[in-house]
Amino acid sequence: MAPAAPDPLAPLMSRIAAGDRAALRALYEATAPKLFGVCLRILSDREESEDVLQDVYVTVWRRADRFEAGRASVSTWLGAIARNRAIDRLRARGPLARAEPLEDLEIADDAPSAETRLQASGEAARLAACLDELDPRTRQVIRTAFFEGVTYEALARRMDAPLGTVKSWIRRGLARLKGCLEP
Amino acid sequence: MSEPKDLPESEALAAEHALGVLSGPERAAAEARLARDPAFAAEVAAWRTKLAPLAEAVAPVPPPEGLWPAIARALPANDDVAARRRLRFWRGATIGSLGLAAASLAAAALLASRPPIAVAPAPPAPILNASLMSPGQGDRPMFVAAYDPVRRALIVTSLAQPGADPAHVHELWIIPADGKPHPIGMIEPGRSKAMPMPKAMAPMFAPGAAIAVSVEPPGGSPRKTAPSGPIAAMGKLSRI
Repeated sequence: MAPAAPDPLAPLMSRIAAGDRAALRALYEATAPKLFGVCLRILSDREESEDVLQDVYVTVWRRADRFEAGRASVSTWLGAIARNRAIDRLRARGPLARAEPLEDLEIADDAPSAETRLQASGEAARLAACLDELDPRTRQVIRTAFFEGVTYEALARRMDAPLGTVKSWIRRGLARLKGCLEP
Repeated sequence: MSEPKDLPESEALAAEHALGVLSGPERAAAEARLARDPAFAAEVAAWRTKLAPLAEAVAPVPPPEGLWPAIARALPANDDVAARRRLRFWRGATIGSLGLAAASLAAAALLASRPPIAVAPAPPAPILNASLMSPGQGDRPMFVAAYDPVRRALIVTSLAQPGADPAHVHELWIIPADGKPHPIGMIEPGRSKAMPMPKAMAPMFAPGAAIAVSVEPPGGSPRKTAPSGPIAAMGKLSRI
């Protein structure tokens, strides 16, 4: 599905690839708060999240030439790098890191509010609609996995369910999601 | 919703990796496979794209004030550090031979004439060329540039000697009819590159507009909207 509007951040990437620090700064201003939020959700630690964020933008500086405009938007690309780095950090704490949910990050409700949904992009709205078609438990476990970057083991511990069961919930959920997104 | 088929094993693994539920060793194995298996890499990329909109729901949190300066300090001068170290400036440096200039012109023309990636519905607009001359350096250009309106890209070749001045870089500027310079990007001595231009800047690339190169500190002109250093070379765009 082609995005309706040209990616507003794409021109920055070619400038960054050419060694333009002002362009990297502009990209940072436009995207860092969201990426910081993403890292904090996964790591629940400010200092580690700052380290990851720094790592992300240094990586972008070095690899901007590898960004392929046709494949994904800049924010998708950045989001994937940030999540990946944050999850690497989390794994360094062991497979059961964050097996106990934090009080304020309870597994229950990550569903976006109606207001957020109205502002969401077409793709986000579509994904939300497809998630809504899953049973509530599968929806929750997929959301928690995405937002907190925890392992199957940690999810199983949190939900007090056997590992194989959690695994099959997620695998089936992802298959349904694909069926819904690509009818 | 009808019961969908299970994902094929390879795609299921790609989806799990994109979602981020694999344990440390499983992640490492998936990353290793990513590097050598393009089909698997494409599946992971596709799943990352599918799931990415979820991140829109995450509330943004402003990072601390001091983080950008820390990042700016951590940036390497450039990926191509060796090339920058070899930077040699136009001042006093011998500019490439006429033979090199001709070869680079040919290279620029070849780059410019490559078929556009996007399908262009309109008849192709003519390519504009500029030879950027240095004051006091005779009739040999120091840079050659070609603007391809179909690809919306400026193809630039630097004929400056790669070499001596690691303290400075060459920054390109477009100066349209109103005389206000706009930064285009950096070019390393002796290199060619295609620089895609944002849509808003495309109209500036018209016959008669000037392209200039200034000598700047690493990272480009701190003034952002105007060169801070001396002009190394300048030339006007025209149809050949």
